[in-house]
Amino acid sequence: MLVVENIRKSYPKFTLEGVSFTLQPGRIMGLIGKNGAGKTTTLKCLLNLVRPDSGRVEMFGRDFRSNEEYCKQRIGVVFGGVDFYKHKKLAQITAVTKRFYEHWDDQAYESYLEMFELDPEKRVNELSSGMKVKYMVAAALSHGAQLLIFDEPTSGLDPVSRDDLLVLFRQLVKDGQRSILYSTHITSDLDKCADDITYIKEGRLLRSAEKAEFIRSFQDLKEAGEQGELTLEEIMIRTERRSYHV
Amino acid sequence: MSKLLHKELALAAHPNLFVFSLLGVLVLVPSYPYGMVFMFGCLGPFITVDYGRETNDLYYTSLLPLRKRDIVLGKCLLFAAAQLGQVLISLPFAFLRVRLLPAGNPAGIEANVAYYGFGFLIYALFNFIFLTSFFKTGFKAGWAFLWAVIPATICIAAMEVAVHLPGLAWLDSVKPADLLRQLPILAIGLVVYCGAMAAAYRVAAERFERVNL
Repeated sequence: MLVVENIRKSYPKFTLEGVSFTLQPGRIMGLIGKNGAGKTTTLKCLLNLVRPDSGRVEMFGRDFRSNEEYCKQRIGVVFGGVDFYKHKKLAQITAVTKRFYEHWDDQAYESYLEMFELDPEKRVNELSSGMKVKYMVAAALSHGAQLLIFDEPTSGLDPVSRDDLLVLFRQLVKDGQRSILYSTHITSDLDKCADDITYIKEGRLLRSAEKAEFIRSFQDLKEAGEQGELTLEEIMIRTERRSYHV
Repeated sequence: MSKLLHKELALAAHPNLFVFSLLGVLVLVPSYPYGMVFMFGCLGPFITVDYGRETNDLYYTSLLPLRKRDIVLGKCLLFAAAQLGQVLISLPFAFLRVRLLPAGNPAGIEANVAYYGFGFLIYALFNFIFLTSFFKTGFKAGWAFLWAVIPATICIAAMEVAVHLPGLAWLDSVKPADLLRQLPILAIGLVVYCGAMAAAYRVAAERFERVNL
């Protein structure tokens, strides 16, 4: 579904160094790291929003850069909810959006609106954060997106909306036809719904693996006498912990 | 291309774009510097691009199944549609003014064939500088406008002043013989406009490919 090979991107004060991972169909991958680790830069490099200095992105067996339209027909991207044309109605945005997709399904769109309790006559600035994400998901599913890419979709949501969204994510990949890649620093979300974890620290890939294997590989962080496996949150905190000499 | 233009007009366009395009009717105002019509034709697209920063227009477009350079193409189409639309709107009024205002335009150039030729040259200059400057960054619309509007204003002023020179009086005429003499200016204007838009797209798209959104 998605193969990322050795993506590099240098900025004056930050470098993304050779990030690589693979996402299989029917899987949910969590991209974790603290704020500023390079999660959003990685996602933007995948989509050519940021031009990587080197590396390769393959989606659906094709090189993304040379098949941008083909790949974008088959993906849905949600970067923090619908954050454009705030004074337009959802119906107006959808009327334009659907013209660009070969496989747009009006019936499916209507049913997703109903399922998510979205009113097409509402303007973007009248929607809650959770509803904004759901609108983007509805639009992505209505054009048959097989790969959904989310950048911190649950940050800013209340616990009920977050749980609601995570349940939806599991439903979406259930048939093995779709995959989800999403960045987050809320590791408890990943405990609930991720199959694979990719961890980026200060622009470098620390590890990308199936969740159980990922957790096992960090057990050396356990302190003497600790029982049971470390959680994702504990792994992240202990890996990122700094000491201040003040 | 029609989908792109539809998206620009339905979602990206600022209401002033349509208002300023309608200002092609100003050629019916007596004693008015008609070069201002072209200034409005430059202002409308600029305001829309600037408005796009508020509406996150580039972000929305970048998520559509398009190549990154198609974002630039969409803006080029919008500029062309607004400006050609403005010219088309003004044409019937330019014919009408010959009957209603036979004394001509003492303030500056007449709305004649040469006027439209100069208009296309002014648009070509503005569009090329604005689009290639703006798409270097994708957000510095104010600077791009400043670089583009200064030469465009100089050209408008030159056009308005030139017709007051005795040797160039034929440029200010609506007599059939003088209109024929003005035709090459219109032809050159159209050719330069088309060439400038094609070049603006090519250069701006190359630059925008390197922009990190």
